Amino acid sequence: MKKMWTIAVNTFRESMRKKTLYIILIFALIVIGASKLFSFLTAEEELKMIKDVSFSAIEFFGALIAIFASITAISTEIERRTIYTLLTKPIRRSDFVLGKFFGVSLIIFVNFILTTLFFIGLLLFKKSIPDIEVFKTLLLIFFELILIGGITLALGTFTTDAFNIICSFFLYIVGHLTSYGKEMIERTENIVVAGLADMLYTLVPNYENFNIRDKIVVGISVSWGYVGYTILYGILYTCIVLLIALYFFQKREI
Amino acid sequence: MAIIQTDKLTKHYVLGRKKFVVGLENVDLEINEGEIFGILGPNGSGKTTCLKLLLGILFPTSGEARIMGRLPDDIEMKQYVGFLPENPYYYDYLNGPELLLFYARLFSIRPDVAKKRIDELLELVELNNARRLTLRHYSKGMLERIGLAASLINDPKILILDEPTTGLDPIGCRDTRNLLIKLKQQGKTILLSSHFLSEVERVCERIAIFHRGHLLATGTLDALNKQYQAENLEDLFVKTIYAFDNQEAVKTGEPK
Ligand SMILES: Nc1ncnc2c1ncn2[C@@H]1O[C@H](COP(=O)(O)OP(=O)(O)OP(=O)(O)O)[C@@H](O)[C@H]1O
Ligand SMILES: [Mg+2]
Repeated sequence: MKKMWTIAVNTFRESMRKKTLYIILIFALIVIGASKLFSFLTAEEELKMIKDVSFSAIEFFGALIAIFASITAISTEIERRTIYTLLTKPIRRSDFVLGKFFGVSLIIFVNFILTTLFFIGLLLFKKSIPDIEVFKTLLLIFFELILIGGITLALGTFTTDAFNIICSFFLYIVGHLTSYGKEMIERTENIVVAGLADMLYTLVPNYENFNIRDKIVVGISVSWGYVGYTILYGILYTCIVLLIALYFFQKREI
Repeated sequence: MAIIQTDKLTKHYVLGRKKFVVGLENVDLEINEGEIFGILGPNGSGKTTCLKLLLGILFPTSGEARIMGRLPDDIEMKQYVGFLPENPYYYDYLNGPELLLFYARLFSIRPDVAKKRIDELLELVELNNARRLTLRHYSKGMLERIGLAASLINDPKILILDEPTTGLDPIGCRDTRNLLIKLKQQGKTILLSSHFLSEVERVCERIAIFHRGHLLATGTLDALNKQYQAENLEDLFVKTIYAFDNQEAVKTGEPK
């Protein structure tokens, strides 16, 4: 357990030295820029825009960081052959993979907190106190980011980096289009096609479930039941992909 | 009983359907407790492959490898093993003490014990003056030395070194050699690979010669020299390898 944590902290330290922080900077610029852009709106509408842009930016840049941190977490160790010095120590391969996952989660968390603080600061600056609905939206975004990180990490245990990037972004896009998919399935008459599509729908990570910002921004509240259910979905899905990662990494030759 | 043992250890690197490269073929090795054992062989002869199989970085195609009677995936056994990979490369944003502390944690060494040990080791490999320098600014020889220190952090019973003197200057080579002898006197078992024949000749009690994944000869230098009527290690090395290549040429009917 402690060894896992050692690896996690090292992963975090390493990423902090890379350009992750620039992404946060870009985030800040976009959000500030956007809020300036909409200052011709009424105060209430401006606030809506700020929330909308900020939620989207926290989610999108968070996803970027989750994907890139997860890819580099394992592949730089292999590329630089530092992994030889790890796997020959008394640590299990599972400790290594889980350590990497927690390291990536830490990166996601810190980035998430920084961007969120910036967003809340902006709200307070505009004399708006963030309510519980804002908190729900952010909470769901966080669990979505953890899931994205877990999926990319798992893919990294058996694919190349290039394929992993493509796959991760593909899933990111498809995972956000699931509601359209569901509609199409319901309209399909062919049972086989509908069955296959239904299976695909169940397998693909349903990132859109985590997106409640469209509702929150226009003032519709979302129940805690839904939030809890979605978080549970995220955690379960993450656990399953981690099991897949452990399975593949156990047999991997380096 | 041998402390390190391989039994018909074989590794084929699979490249595609029915295509593979022989990394190691049917190797039986026995290394006794407390000896310095050298694996010799030309480039690509399977030295690194053998060490990686022992440590569980690679998995054998067939046969098995054991250290202290345990299979390579045994966590407890690794507590007693130190390893220096070839051309070691480490987290270059750390400095020497930080790197050693990181590895100490992976061995669950108590912080106070680790601190003392780190000071001793930095002294031993003469990197005490470079404590604040990050590894990015290390020279090749310094990297090799910090690697050696890292492989000793757990005070291992068994030390496995893949080409420990590559990149070292003559003085570094001599220091390493003396260090190995000192470690042996402390009762450690050392398995090293090298292509520096003179190095091996001076420190190793027994050797093995690898070529194209095959184990050609193993034993004490004197016994092998006698067996192959060789004058010295270089002569022995060349003779065994030529003999093997000729044999293969005859087998496959290729003109030499
Ligand atoms: N990952 C790999 N995939 C395919 N072939 C490999 C792989 N690693 C090693 N080989 C092959 O296995 C053989 C043995 O390689 P190995 O690295 O064990 O040699 P070595 O004795 O350590 O050589 P050197 O002295 O150059 O370090 C070589 O023919 C090499 O090309
Ligand atoms: Mg080698």
